[in-house]
Amino acid sequence: MDFYFGLIQIIGVHTLLGLSAYVILLTGQLSIAQAAFYAIGAYVSAMLTVLWGWHIVPALFAGAAMGAFFATLVGFPALRVRGLMLVIATLAFGEGVRLFFFNFDYQIQKGNVKVGPLGPEGFRQIRYFPENGWTTFDVMLFVWVFVILVMALIWWVDRSRYGAVLRAVGDDELAAQSVGINLTAVKVSAMTVGGGIAGLAGCLYAHYTTHIEHLGFGVLQSVFAVAYPIIGGMASVFGTLFAVIFVQGILVEGLRFLGDWRNLLFGALIIVAMVVRPTGFLDALMLKRFARWFALGRERA
Amino acid sequence: MLDFVQALIDGILYGTTYALIGIGFTLVFGVMHKINMAYASASIGAAYVALVVGGLVAGASAWLVFGLSFLLGGLFGLLVYLICFHLIPLGNENATLMSTIGMLLLVDELIAHATQGMPQNYPSTAFGEEMVRMGELSVRGDLIFVFAVSVVAMGALLALLYRTRMGLATRAVAQQPVAAQLCGIQVVKVNALTFVITGLLGGIAGALVCSAVGTLSILITGPLTVKGLIVTVIGGLGSVPGAIVAGLLVGGLENVVLYLRGVTERDLYVMLLMFAFLVFRPNGIFARGAGRD
Amino acid sequence: MLELRGLSRYFGGVRAVDALDLRVAGGEIFGLIGPNGSGKSTTVNLVTGLFAPSAGQILFEGADIAKLPTHARLAHGIARTFQNIRLFGQLTVWQNLWVAQNSAEDRARKGFFARWLGGQRDARAEILPLLEFSGLAHKQDELASNLAFGEQRRLEVARALATRPRLLLLDEPAAGMNSEEIGQLRERILKIRERGVTVLLVEHVMELVMGVTDRIAVLNFGQKIAEGTPAEIQADPLVRKAYLGGEAA
Repeated sequence: MDFYFGLIQIIGVHTLLGLSAYVILLTGQLSIAQAAFYAIGAYVSAMLTVLWGWHIVPALFAGAAMGAFFATLVGFPALRVRGLMLVIATLAFGEGVRLFFFNFDYQIQKGNVKVGPLGPEGFRQIRYFPENGWTTFDVMLFVWVFVILVMALIWWVDRSRYGAVLRAVGDDELAAQSVGINLTAVKVSAMTVGGGIAGLAGCLYAHYTTHIEHLGFGVLQSVFAVAYPIIGGMASVFGTLFAVIFVQGILVEGLRFLGDWRNLLFGALIIVAMVVRPTGFLDALMLKRFARWFALGRERA
Repeated sequence: MLDFVQALIDGILYGTTYALIGIGFTLVFGVMHKINMAYASASIGAAYVALVVGGLVAGASAWLVFGLSFLLGGLFGLLVYLICFHLIPLGNENATLMSTIGMLLLVDELIAHATQGMPQNYPSTAFGEEMVRMGELSVRGDLIFVFAVSVVAMGALLALLYRTRMGLATRAVAQQPVAAQLCGIQVVKVNALTFVITGLLGGIAGALVCSAVGTLSILITGPLTVKGLIVTVIGGLGSVPGAIVAGLLVGGLENVVLYLRGVTERDLYVMLLMFAFLVFRPNGIFARGAGRD
Repeated sequence: MLELRGLSRYFGGVRAVDALDLRVAGGEIFGLIGPNGSGKSTTVNLVTGLFAPSAGQILFEGADIAKLPTHARLAHGIARTFQNIRLFGQLTVWQNLWVAQNSAEDRARKGFFARWLGGQRDARAEILPLLEFSGLAHKQDELASNLAFGEQRRLEVARALATRPRLLLLDEPAAGMNSEEIGQLRERILKIRERGVTVLLVEHVMELVMGVTDRIAVLNFGQKIAEGTPAEIQADPLVRKAYLGGEAA
């Protein structure tokens, strides 16, 4: 049973990762740096709970805040690069952050052991949950409380003027400027929100996996982050959720049949998804169909 | 001081491989306005398959392997085009980008599994034994070989682009795809050919990189991709001469920083250089300056 | 209301706009015509801030706006439509108007959170009159990219109006229209003026220009070669020469 709880935890955190990329993607910016903010949130919150004994919830918000902060810093220079250049720039930035954590040492003495991040070895013994008697089930619920909160928030944004403005910017920046939309404010704020969500995801990840290292925050994670909204469709947050469940489901099942060929499966999956359905699963048309189906269902009931 | 110059020279010679990879990225961008993220991986993939086949056939002599890598590179390039670009509507940027990323992961995993994660010995030519001495400096023969082959490849490419009809058609498509079609140029053919040509280049580059280092390992593809992209950005997306200069620049800088400050700072400085260009000169080395219009 | 003093814009050696002096009074419908390449669109882009002037001043209600970024000029009350329609294709008709509610007036009426994160119902109610004015109310939930061409043109204008402008620049709105449609456009422009909006109409289609404007300025090679009422312009030999080249009978 624990195995399934663990899987649901992973799905939850990956959904958050996907949503962090989704918000930014709405404005037409494709960021392959989400793993960087994920990493920052992970290390910061882990250091707070392990080194300085913070409670998990404030550490969570601190991690998210740091993710948001650095995303804002990235957001401004990102304005100067368009399209594919942004992809390259964020890719390089993500790699830079990973390299930073590869070299990051900060250990303090606690009792008779040294705790804290240790360069390539990473950060071991992030034992907040076990030390405080949380079961896997408890952790899973905790993760999903935040997933649902964030999903609800973004779902609300999607229905608000901010969401429409985000999409307008993603559609046509020139026209958006000409109707009075402040591109800088919109694009940077989207980056900030995305960074915050990624930071939040990182914190949850660090604490349920208890050991983090630079390898878990590389290009692959950033690719996961953007793959979910693109494969799942940009019309709704549920697209990202479905994509996570779909991909993780296949990967987990695939593991059973194919052993250690997970990444190969993921790569092939992405290619097939893009060839078969380049606009993503839940695109505008599909969303309309779902909405109508729901409405009909409610009418009959 | 002498060691510094030595490091610089070695770096620049090695940098020609970065130039080749950079050219590959930049040419595809120039013609199709897309980035083929799988390029470096496919190149190393070609080098690997060439190694295997060469080993089976004739005991993996260096020249055979290089030649095979060249050809296989072209083949893989065509495959990437067919799978990732031909089948997906080109208007959808995200989809084509993601498909090449998927291909990157796929190829990486295939190589990782085929090699069981173990680095493979890669043949180098006999030049490796030679050292050219110029006064107090000595230059590795195999690096000179790498340099020479790269220069020949670049020269061939430039000749192709600027002196043949195919090259003309390619440049036409790069500048005005719709008008090119209206002039009877088959854009699909040009696109596919661009991938084949860059694939050929990539095959050479992959083989050269592995032979210069002596091993082929799955750990090369990631950094090579990032470096190739950095070179592309610094050289200016779409500029082949830019990629050449940028490749040499990055190669030289990288080695110099390695000599002065060690491995970890090496990558950092290269990345900083790229960010500097992004901020101050986003159109690359040969940009004509920021024109807001 | 709008004053251009010695406005110039050079692209390398090309003088797209050359020392242009222009005055548009409040409440006018002012026409800007000229052969292709005469600098009409560049002028519009200069006024709205897509290009920076190489020389000269742009004064809007007395204030120099040349240094303001595009979205800020909107806050002052300048709006425009695009020659090749630039709607937000992925958004619905009413959403296209919704995202354009960025005027100072809108900002003053509602609080920050209400404006950005508030619900849709109130917004739709506000936008409905404008949709009705543009004849698009029945299509408000349709995706903008699914509209017919004529409807898209109307939406383009409606969206500009949603920003509550005091000056509206129309960039060749009649392109591709037949006589009947031009007549309807003429009516709409007059109604827009009745709502208190000054209009600067850049246009090629003489039927519309002569029929709706109060005054016209004629550009050729970036310079103003004539200015006056429609009747004066029609009689001006310089104008005829610019369009037809050489002496006309």
